[in-house]
This record gives sequence, C-alpha cells and structure tokens, in this order.
Amino acid sequence: MRKETPPKRNPDVSWRTIEGQAVLIHNRLGEIQVLNDLGTYIWEHLELGPEVLARNIAQEHEVSVPDAQRDVEEFMKALRGSGALADGTD
Amino acid sequence: MDRPIAPGHFSGPLNLQGGGAFTVTVGGIAVQFSGLSEAILSAARERYSPFLSDEPPLHTAALFDGPEHYLDMAEDGYMRMEERDFPEGRIMVSHDFAAYWPAGASAGMLRVNGAYPFSKILTAMENYLRWCVAGLALERGGFVLHSAGLVLEGKAYVFFGHSGAGKSTATALSLEGRGALTLSDDLVLVLREGNRFLAAATPFQGTMAQRVKTKGLYPLAGIFHLRQSPEVGTLPLARAAAVGMLLSCCPFVADPMRRSEYLLPIVEDLCRALPVRELLFRKDPSFWDVVLDREDSP
Repeated sequence: MRKETPPKRNPDVSWRTIEGQAVLIHNRLGEIQVLNDLGTYIWEHLELGPEVLARNIAQEHEVSVPDAQRDVEEFMKALRGSGALADGTD
Repeated sequence: MDRPIAPGHFSGPLNLQGGGAFTVTVGGIAVQFSGLSEAILSAARERYSPFLSDEPPLHTAALFDGPEHYLDMAEDGYMRMEERDFPEGRIMVSHDFAAYWPAGASAGMLRVNGAYPFSKILTAMENYLRWCVAGLALERGGFVLHSAGLVLEGKAYVFFGHSGAGKSTATALSLEGRGALTLSDDLVLVLREGNRFLAAATPFQGTMAQRVKTKGLYPLAGIFHLRQSPEVGTLPLARAAAVGMLLSCCPFVADPMRRSEYLLPIVEDLCRALPVRELLFRKDPSFWDVVLDREDSP
C-alpha cells in the first residue's frame, strides 16, 4: 500500500454514529448513507491512514494484512465514489 | 437565467395582492395567509376547507406581487426548489415564486406574480405552507414524513417510503379492507409530545381528497418502511438504517445545518421510542395482521 496523506472527510457530509453504525448525510446532495460496523470503524478513524487502519483491522478481525488492505482500499474507493471524502484524498 | 434573490428582494415598496386572509391548522400548527385577493381567498378556502380554523396563528405569511420569473426550469424537467440561508433569514425560491422567512420571526413573505393563473398562485402558497409547517414542526420536535398515515382503533400507523413504494396502495387497501381512517396517503406530520410521538393529517395536495382525511393528533403506534413483496411479514431494522431511511423521506428541510442539527436527533429519538420495521406487503389488506401483531405501545 502506498504511503499517503490520510484521507479527509468531505466537510459537506454531516454524520453521527448510532448503535455502532455511522449515518452520513450528504448535505448538498440530500443523500443518506449508512455504514456497517467495519465501515464505521474506518470512517471514525480516517486520520490513522489506510496502512494503520488495515493493520488494526487485521489484528482485530483475525484476517491477513493484505486482505484487510484490500478491504480498506475498496471501502475508501466506495467512500470517494459517494462523495463522502474530500476531493484529492484517498 | 436565474434571478438572484436575497433578503433585499422583500423590502422596499411591495404590493399586497389584496386584503383577504385565512388560517390553516395542521396538527395544532396554525398558519395564516394574508394579503389575498378575493378570488385567491375563495379558491384557497375551498382547497383547504377541512383544515381552516380560527386559531391564533403561529406564523403569518403575506402574499405580495412579484416578478414573472425566478429560477429557470431544470434540464431534467423536475421542479427546482432551493433554500438559501442568510444572516437575516431563510429564502425559498422556485420558478415562479420566492419566499422569505426572517430569522426568529413569526411572519414571512411570499412573492408571486399577481397576474398568474390561480393554479400557479395556489401552488406557490402550497409550497410556502409545506416549508413553513416543516420548519415550525422542527422547532417543536417534529417533521413531515413522506408516508401513508392510517388510524385504527384510535392509534396511528405510519408507512413510509419514496414514490412508488406503495403508500397509496396501502392506504386504499386499508380503507376497503380494514375500515381504517386516513391521515394522508403521501405526507404525514409527526410531532413529539413528551416521550411519545403523535401523527396528524396534512392539508397538502396529493391524490387523496381533503375531505377523506381524518383530523386530529393520534398516538403513533407503529412505523414501517414499505417494501413490496409476494410474502407478508416484518423485518427488524437496525436503528442507524431506520434513521437513514426516515431522513431520506423527510422533505422540505433542505438546509444542511437544520437537517443534521435538528432533524437527525428528532428522528433518532423517534426510532428509540418506537422501533421501525420493514414491512413486506403485497396488494391485499393481510399486512395489517403482522402490523398489529408487532404493535409497540406508544
């Protein structure tokens, strides 16, 4: 995984965690996104960066680091696609 | 080209469209329209007939003459309705009208061209009423929900979902098959009262005649997200998913800050007070069996 600047949340997205699941409100688009447990963990800890996130997830969920890295990358891609991340961040 | 609108558009010499006034009450929220011509007053009174009242208004909207054009049509043909926040207050603007609600005020202004056909002026008033009721409800711990509202044995059951989810179908089946009373087949007002929530009819135009709607506030006993299915049953919804689904069905609160700071906590409280379930239903009244089986006391 590349060394990168930690991704940033799009300031146009308001969010709140409810019973362990993050609810994202895309203010400009008026869309709502609900994240699962793993997605919520990543969203809440974005500032750790993909590498640390993947290591933590691998440790917590007893999966290999490469698998966790792939999951984190895919999730970041989905977040970017939905507009939840600020432009220019992973 | 869009006409730029700011609070200044509502100051200076403006002409009221007449001297007529009437008040509409929605779930205890009374809104008065004033400055109406005789003809518009008559048409509006007829439209909102079952909801007319003499209650002291919480909010008064004065109708002033306005220019012919505000916003251009959207390329996809959908109606554009935009809400803009200014330090002085909020503005709502669409193709043919603009409205202004000064911050903290109990009176607002609506500008629409007086030479327009009645239908356009009434549409502008209707949109103002929706905006205003949603705003006042929010201040009172409530919101307007895209949903069918039905009353059985004095308790309200709300079935929500986007267009095409089956709100009108569920309503029609309930009237015929269960003898339920109807709040609305499209937009229901949900209000908090202490630790419980109440539901009320709205006078907003939909497919349902106003006279069919049942007035009054009823304790909310069940709230269901509609999903058409060959099977009938209910499924639990995680609270976060329920909050997300409900939020996406709350119209007329466009301002991001008000959606996240005010609406979200209210919706979350509702989901805490009354678990939301997914209702699998087909086109017959049998869904009521599972709805009543799952009833949560308000």
